[in-house]
Amino acid sequence: MSNNKLFGLIFCLMFPVGATHADEAQLKRGAHVAVEVCNTCHSLKYVKYSDFLKLGFTKAEVDAMRGAKGMADPLISQMAPADELAMFSTVPPDLSLMAKAREGGANYIYSMITGFYTDAKGQTANHVFPGIKMPDVFMIAQADAAGRKDIEQKARDVSAFLEWASDPQAEERKTLGRYVIGYFILLTVLLYFLKKKIWKRLG
Amino acid sequence: MNKIIAWVDQRFPLTYFIRHELTDYPTPRNLSYWWGFGFLAGFVLVIQIVTGIFLAMHYKPDSSLAFDSVQHIMREVNYGWLIRYLHSTGASAFFAVIYTHMARTLYYGSYRRPRELLWWTGQGLLLLMMATAFMGYLLPWGQMSYWGATVITNLFKATPVYGDQIVTWLRGGFAVDDPTLTRFFSLHYLFPFLIFAAVAIHLVALHTVRSSNPSGINLADKDNIPFHPYFTIKDLFGLGIFMIVYLLIVFFKPDLFIDAANNIPANPMQTPADIVPEWYFLPFYAILRSVPDLAGGVVAMAISVLIFAAMPYLDRSRVTGGARYRPVYRAMFYIFVIDIFVLGYVGAHPPAGTLKVVGEIGTAIYFMTFLLLPFVSRWEEKYVLARGLPPAVEAMARKEIAEAEGNV
Repeated sequence: MSNNKLFGLIFCLMFPVGATHADEAQLKRGAHVAVEVCNTCHSLKYVKYSDFLKLGFTKAEVDAMRGAKGMADPLISQMAPADELAMFSTVPPDLSLMAKAREGGANYIYSMITGFYTDAKGQTANHVFPGIKMPDVFMIAQADAAGRKDIEQKARDVSAFLEWASDPQAEERKTLGRYVIGYFILLTVLLYFLKKKIWKRLG
Repeated sequence: MNKIIAWVDQRFPLTYFIRHELTDYPTPRNLSYWWGFGFLAGFVLVIQIVTGIFLAMHYKPDSSLAFDSVQHIMREVNYGWLIRYLHSTGASAFFAVIYTHMARTLYYGSYRRPRELLWWTGQGLLLLMMATAFMGYLLPWGQMSYWGATVITNLFKATPVYGDQIVTWLRGGFAVDDPTLTRFFSLHYLFPFLIFAAVAIHLVALHTVRSSNPSGINLADKDNIPFHPYFTIKDLFGLGIFMIVYLLIVFFKPDLFIDAANNIPANPMQTPADIVPEWYFLPFYAILRSVPDLAGGVVAMAISVLIFAAMPYLDRSRVTGGARYRPVYRAMFYIFVIDIFVLGYVGAHPPAGTLKVVGEIGTAIYFMTFLLLPFVSRWEEKYVLARGLPPAVEAMARKEIAEAEGNV
C-alpha cells in the first residue's frame, strides 16, 4: 500500500461523507473534449454514447456527438489501430479506465496534458511522461499566457470527465453509502445499548 | 412446531446440538472484544462466498474476456459494482480480521496446551486463505494480477531437480496464460468450501477445549456464562463496528486496496515498473526478497508463515495468561508486531539502499524472535515466579511445572 493510499484511508475514515463531485457543466465540457479531441486516436471502449444521457446531455445533443454511430455503440477511436501503429509506432491506450490506471488519477492526466514543453533542442517533451509518443494536441508548449489558461481549463474538464468515465457509478455509490453507513451507525448504537442491558443481568 | 421438533429430535440431535454448541455453550465471562475476531472472520467468509457466487454468474474465466467481464460487472450488471467492491474489499477485511485473531492468540498464549490442535487447524485455515486470495487476485486479469501470478509461480523454480517442470505444471504452460486463469478460477471457487469445512473442524476443536480467557487461569463453573445471549449480543455489537469500517471503504474508498496497475489489462510483453503483492502478503514478500538466494528466500518465506505452528513448543514458559504476566514475552510481542509493519513497508518498495538493509534486519528480528523464545521463556519463567504472581496464576504455573518434572 502506497503512502497515498494510507493517507486516503485515514482521510476517508475522517471525512467519509464530504466527497466532492465535479459539476455537471464541467463533465459536459470534458465530454466534448474527449469526443472531439481524445477520441480521434484513443478509444473509450467501456463508455457508450447512451452513457452521455446520464451526464445531462439531451438526446439531440448526443445524436450530434455520435454522428453515424449507434446510441449503444462504445467510443471506439476514429483512427484504425493499424494506422495508429504506423503513425505513432504504438496504439494509444484506451482511456475508459485511465483515471484509475495511473497513480494520481485525474491529477496525473491533467499534469500530463499540460506538461508539454519545448526542450533545449527545440523538440516537444513532457515533464510527467518523458518519451511520450502522444503529440502536444492542444499545443500548450507554444501557447501564450491566455492560450495556456484556456488549455488548462480544457485539461481540467477532460480529466474530470475521464474520472467520471472510469467510475460512472461513483455518485450513486456515495449516495447509497451515506444511507448504508447511517443505518449501520444507528444499528450499532442500538446493539451497544442492548448489549449493556443484557450484560446487566450478570450483576 | 414443537411436535415437528420433537419428531426431528428423536432422529437427529437438533435441540441438543443448538443447546450444547450455541445457546448454553459455556463461555468465560471475562472475554474481551479481542475474542470476537473469530466470529468476524466467519462472517467475512460468508460475505466472500455469497458475493463470489454472484460474481461468478457474470465473470468470464477466459484471458480474452476476463478484464472486459469485470468492467461489465462494474458498469452493466445491476449493483455489480457493489458486489465486486464488497468482494475485493472483503479479501482485505478477511486478512485484517484473521491477523488480529492470530495476534490475540499470540498475546494471550491461547496456542498453549491443550489448544495446540485448535491453533494448527487455524494455521491450516491461514494457508488455505492465502492460496485462495492469491488465485483470486489473478481473475481480474490486470497487469498486477498477471505479473503477481508470474512472480509467485516462478518461486517454485526453487524446487530441487524438478523446478521447471513444477512451474510449467502449475501454470498449465510455459507462461501464465489462459490455462492458468481457468485453473485458478476453478480452484478459487473450490477452496472457500474447503475453508468452510476446515472452519467446522476448527470449531469442533474449539468446543472440545473451550475458549481461553485473558486471566490465564481455568475459570470456575460460575464464571462461565451461556454463549447466548451474552456473546451473541457482544459479537453482534462488534460486527456493527466492523461493518461500519468495512462499508466506509466499500462505498467511499473502494479502490484503496486495488493497485492502479491492475486497471490496465494483463500484458505479457510489458513488465510493470514495480511488482507489488497485496498488502497482506507484503511482510512475507519482504522476507523473500531479503534473502539473496532464490531457494533460500523461498524457504525463509515458507518458514515465516509455518513457524507459527511451532509456538506451543517454542514457548516453554509454564506461566499462563500469555503476555499479561510475562514482561519479556510482552516486549517480544510488541517488537514482533512493529517488525511486521516495518517488513510490510519494505515489501511495498523496491529493495534498494537503506530499505534493503532495513528488510534484512527486519527479517533477522522476525526469525530471532522465534529462535530466542525457547530460552527466553524458560529464563523468564524463573524470573516471574521469583518476582511473584497472583496466587491463582502462580498455583497453575507451579502445578504445570510439577507435572512436567514428575514425567521426566
